[in-house]
Parts: sequence; C-alpha cells; structure tokens
Amino acid sequence: MGSFICKRSFQSLISLIVLVMLVFFLARLTGSPADLYLPQDASAAVRHDFNEQMGFNDPLYVQFVGFMVGLLHLDMGQSLQFSRPALDVVLQAFPTTLMLAAVTMPLVLLISIVTGSLAAYKPGGIFDRLASFISLLGAATPNFWVAIVGVLVFAVTLRLLPTSGTGTPLHWVLPVAVLTLRPTGVLVQVVRTSMMTALSAAYIKTARAKGVSSRAIVFVHALRNGLLPVITVASDQAAGIVNGAVIVETVFGFPGIGKLMIDSVLLRDFTVIQAAVLVTALAVFVINILVDITYALVDPRIRYN
Amino acid sequence: MKFWKSITVALATSIALPAGMAMAQGKTSVTIVLPAGPDRLDPCETPRSVIGRIIKQNVVETLAELDYEKRTVLPRLAESWEQTSPTEWIFKLKKGVKFHDGAPFDAKSVIYSVERTVDPKLTCITRTKYFDGTNVTATEVDANTVKFTTKTPVPILPTLLAQMAISSPNTPKGEYTNKPIGTGPYKFDRWTQGENVVLVRDDTYWGAKPMIDKATYVWRSESSVAAAMVETGEADLAFTIAPQDATNKKTDKVYPNSDSAMFRLSVDVPPLNDVRVRKAINLAIDRKAFLGSIISDKAEIAMQQVGPSVLGFNPNLKPWKFDPEQAKALLKQAKADGVDVDREIRMIGRPGMFANSNEFVEATAEMLRQVGLKIKLDNLEMSQWLQMANKPFAADRQPNIFLTMHDNNSGDAAFTAFFKYHTDGRQSELHDPELDALIVQAGTEQGDKRAATYQEVFRRIYEDKVADVPLFHMVNYMRVGKRLDFSPTIANAVELQLAKLALK
Repeated sequence: MGSFICKRSFQSLISLIVLVMLVFFLARLTGSPADLYLPQDASAAVRHDFNEQMGFNDPLYVQFVGFMVGLLHLDMGQSLQFSRPALDVVLQAFPTTLMLAAVTMPLVLLISIVTGSLAAYKPGGIFDRLASFISLLGAATPNFWVAIVGVLVFAVTLRLLPTSGTGTPLHWVLPVAVLTLRPTGVLVQVVRTSMMTALSAAYIKTARAKGVSSRAIVFVHALRNGLLPVITVASDQAAGIVNGAVIVETVFGFPGIGKLMIDSVLLRDFTVIQAAVLVTALAVFVINILVDITYALVDPRIRYN
Repeated sequence: MKFWKSITVALATSIALPAGMAMAQGKTSVTIVLPAGPDRLDPCETPRSVIGRIIKQNVVETLAELDYEKRTVLPRLAESWEQTSPTEWIFKLKKGVKFHDGAPFDAKSVIYSVERTVDPKLTCITRTKYFDGTNVTATEVDANTVKFTTKTPVPILPTLLAQMAISSPNTPKGEYTNKPIGTGPYKFDRWTQGENVVLVRDDTYWGAKPMIDKATYVWRSESSVAAAMVETGEADLAFTIAPQDATNKKTDKVYPNSDSAMFRLSVDVPPLNDVRVRKAINLAIDRKAFLGSIISDKAEIAMQQVGPSVLGFNPNLKPWKFDPEQAKALLKQAKADGVDVDREIRMIGRPGMFANSNEFVEATAEMLRQVGLKIKLDNLEMSQWLQMANKPFAADRQPNIFLTMHDNNSGDAAFTAFFKYHTDGRQSELHDPELDALIVQAGTEQGDKRAATYQEVFRRIYEDKVADVPLFHMVNYMRVGKRLDFSPTIANAVELQLAKLALK
C-alpha cells in the first residue's frame, strides 16, 4: 500500500506541474491586467509603470522562471486585487469550500444509498417510481433557481431560515440543501442500477434460500458488492464541490474558493488563479487516493501491490 | 452516540438563535448590503466605489467635498482656500481635529497624505485617475496652512482634492493598508475577509454626532438575496438592487448613478465616415421605447456623455426624434452619392454592462436593420471589450457601433472631454484640431467660462459632428429598510455617508 501511494503521488505530481504550467501560460494569453486594474483613461506612463512593477513587461519565460522559483518556496506571488500573498487569499477561502463538501457529501451518500437500495429492492414498485421521479428532478433542476426560490420561500415568506451569510448552523441549511440536491439525484440512479445488478446475482438467491432477512440481504450482502460504481461517481461529485460551489457561494454569500476563482479569472489576477488551481488540484488528488484506498477496503479482490 | 449528542446540541442552539438573528442590529446600529466586497480598504483608493462607499467621509475625509446639486465644491477638512497664482493654492485647515489614532490633523499630516497618495510605488486610483501629470506638491506654511503647487495650472484643484482622502501620518508609505485611520465620524473596527466590515462611531468626532453608532457591511452579489435581506430585516439597506428586484415602491428608491450609456461610432471607417449615416443611426433608435421596458423608466435620455450634475453639462441640446423614415431617406441619399451603406457594421456590446444590456443591443441592432443597415452583433467579455475600446485601434477594423458606459462622478467635464474626444484621448475616435483646441482651452478656464466652453464642446460633438449616439443617463435602485429615513442622491454612486442616515 505504501509503495502504491508513493507511486500515485509521483504521477499526480507530474500532472500537477503540467497543469500549473498550462494555467500560467493560458491565463496570460487572455489579455493584460493593466487595462482592468487602472482607470480607462490612465496615461501610457502609468500603464507602463504598473506593468513594470508587476513584472508584466518581462519576457514570458523570465516571468515563468520567477514563478517556478517562488513555487519551490511556496511563494505564489502577490494578488493584484488584494495586494496580499495569493496563497493566503486562497487558503482563507478554501476551508469554507471544504466544510461545504464535508457536510454535503455524507448527506448525499446517506440519502442516495438508502433511497437507491430500497428502490432497487422492488424495481417498478411505487417507491421505486417515486424515487426515480424525484431523483431525476433533483438531478435536472438548475441550482441557482432552487437557491433563489429557497431564499424566497424559507427566508422571505416563511421566515424560518436566514437568507444568506455565515454564522449560525441555520445559515448552512439552505446552502447545503441546495448543494445536496443534484449529486443526490445522480447518485440515487447509480445506486439503484448497481443494486439491481447485485440483487439479481446467484449469491443473493442462496442467501434468501438460507432464510437471511431481506434487510440483511440488501444492506449487507448486496450493498457491499454494489458499492464500487457508487464510490466512483461519488468521488467525482465530491471533486466537483471541492472545485468550488460557485452558485451556492454567490447566492448565499459564502466566502469559498469557487467565486474567488471566477472573480480572479475575470480580473486576470494570475497569481490567485494559479494558487487556487494548485490547491484544488491537490485536494482532488487527495480525494482520488482516498477513493483508491476505499476500493481496496470494500472489495477484497482489489489489492495494490 | 457522541455524534448524535453534538448534532442535537447544534440543532437546539440553532433553533434558539433565529429570533435574535432577524433583529441582528441593535437599536442604533445598521447592517448594509453591498453588491461586492472590498478588495482592500486603502484611503488612497476611495474613488473606487467598492472602497469609497464604505470608508469615504465615514472613516477618512477629504479637504473639500463635491456638491453635486450646485455643481460646486464645499470645504470639509479645509476651512477655506484661495488661488494665489495659476499654479499655487493656499488651503487653511480646520483646527482641533484629530485622527482616530490620536495624531493631530495639521499641515504635516496633509503633506504626508499627498506624498503617500502620489507615490508611484502604489497604483492608487486617486493618483492614476486624478493627479497623474499634475506633479502636485504640498508644503507647510504654518501648522494649519498648506500650500499646493502644481507643474501646470490646475484650475480645478479643489475638485481634485475632493477625491483625495486624508489619512493618519501613521499609515505606512509605499504599501497598501487595510486598516484605514482617518478623521471621520466612524472608526474602522474590523474586516473579516469574505464576510463583513464593521465601523463604529468615534465619539470624539469634530463635527455633529451622527445617530448611528455602528455599521456592519456585508456583500451579496445576487441582487434578489440582497433585496430579501432588507425585506426580512436582516439588513437595513441594500446599496444597489437590480430593477427587477425593485418591486416595493415604499422601500425601493431610485437615484442617478452618474453612468451614461452611449454608442461610440468609428467615424473614420466607411460608411460611418459619412455624417448622414451617423444621423440615420441616431434617428433609427427609439430611445423612449426602452424606458420602462428594459431600461428603468427613471433613466434619462442623454444628449451628451456627462449628466446634469457635471460642470460643463449642456442643458440646451435637443433629443433626437425617432424617425425611421427620415433615417431611410438619409441612407438613400448617401447611397446615391456612392457611400457603401450596405457594408456590414459590427455592433459591440458587453454582457452585464448594465441591467438588460444584452437585450438592449439586440433590440437596437434590430432597429438599425429595419432602416436597412447591415448589423452584426457581438458581445465581448471585459478584457476583449477594453482592447477594442482603447487605442491603438486595429488598422483593418470593420466599421463599428460600440456600446460604452462612462462614469463621471468627479463633477467636472475635464475627465470626459479629453479622454473621449481629444485627438490624444485614449478612447477618442475624433481628431479635429479646432475641437482639440477648444477642449484644451476649457481645461484652463474657471467657473462660468469653463462651463460655457465645455458646453460648446458637447454641442459641437452632438450637433455638428454627430460623433456618437448618446443613449441614457442611468439610475440605480437602493432598498432602504423600514427603520431608516434616507433618500439616495447621485453622491451615492461612490459614497454612503452614515452620518446622513437617520433612524425613524
């Protein structure tokens, strides 16, 4: 296992470096920050000084070497917008995003595994049809619409929840609910299909013949076998949230990494874009390793040697 | 079991909280929702509205202050001023004023702030937009008198100084600060990144004591949520909300935001080099039809690039009639004279320039097609849009009708006329030596004469040259909660003086 993790880390490191290089060069193809940061009527001298100070007048390869050398010291440069180290800006926003993912994903897994399994137990039954209908609706409804309607219904009309912001646990209810919706919708479908396959296997018949209770059949025997594709899809969904829940962050005023990234792209704040991509890529890499380990735990046939 | 216990505790506390939360503000404190949070809180950046609307005249004050209604400049931290020579001004300062950190407000502190603001190590907008090229220096006459000297005559120095915030001499030079220290009625208390900024009243303030003792600023980019926060009482004032969210006449108040929308025309590129084609474009757009439909009915039809609150605004210009028939006739005439009116013209918009700006360009493109012009519509992202807006213009560019929005909240036409219409202006399509001379002359004049010369500049551009297609002077909506007694004005485009908010 140890050597496997080392090998995977090394592979990921290579993709990280390639990614960071790509982001560095592609971002700089998209226009000059001087126009965006200075007033439109700024004089040529002011623009020249700005570019000089920020190093944008240097040849691209000089800028890149400077960036790589800084990276070795974990210095990702100063943010243009905030005039603070870019890495600080990103690391300040990232915990909110991680928390959102950490609260949302267990909920998604719990709801979808229970619902999907029960739906698969009697395919075509009323519960199955209802679950399929609701989960498809959840997967298909746009987040921003649900979020705004949620605010109007639960905050403005019913006055049960705060509209937005952070602070109390109640502030988390609407954002987490909105964020849960789509992954749950998708995952219920995956669990259902995968469980239907598992439940039709021969060993289930044997278990039934032995007189094992149906609850044990579904949640012990079949579930463990049906779980692999679920883990794959769930990790994908988790990576999506870690990359920033832009809509939820925007609507509810959550200071996460998604909105920070979008704003930085629009403002050509290169250092923040680079730092944010690096940090989220690292997080996704960690998720992938965890998923690989989970595979091995769930399925004894998988061994990394 | 421990897990469930903690969940139960969390739920129980959170259910107990909302009652207090909806009334988060104490009796004399307010919560204000802004459309975007600040990126820094440096006093030298107050002309940027994301910063100015929090700290300008609240935390940091200026020597002079604009009176938009009377198009004049009033003293604030200065007691009075006089111009002693074309390049020299003497400012007398208020006595007995102190900064929040205890430092005295005197000539030395003013000199320090001027030096800090014009320091080329920082790209403060106060320098890059207002003081660039003035070479302004300040020297001490006595403890409460400062002499300002400029390289060339700057007849509007008080107007410029209305943009320069005076901060404590303990503010670091050569680096930005996020802890503004000024002389204003409110002290900076804290900034929690991504969440809020808090100001508290300074009870030793030199002026009248304001009613509100604490202000918390939060930001929501989603307008409907900002509006909902005021409706539910979570906040007292939403700085700007979208027109479609301004549904409550009692709380939603409209104010001019000093933005003016216009189509710039590439007057050198055929067929737009023919004045008849430019006239036809102006006649073919039904400006009135937009008011109350996709543009607010409180917006005003524009005849020039500056609004009525700017010195130099010409009140005598007449709006274009909507007359597609005359437009067609003009195009026909031009065609008969060999002008290639069938050439494809690019119309350039920018998503989100103002509310419904995409719908606006689609509709105007269609109006122009109705009179027979060939319009290709493109919406560009900010960076690409700027590349087209600014010189140098591409040599082989197509004729274009280019949507712009210009913001002059400085109170003087100088910040518009040169930049938009002088041969050396960065976004100017014009190159007329006579007009250039008039613009330069206006810049050297003062008072009524200055106003009259700028008025003549705008008249020539509009009536003689038909250089562009002025559209609207735009408005914003502010939602003011039940506890507050406040009506916004054009000054609120860049600031919100807490001292002017009254509690009912």
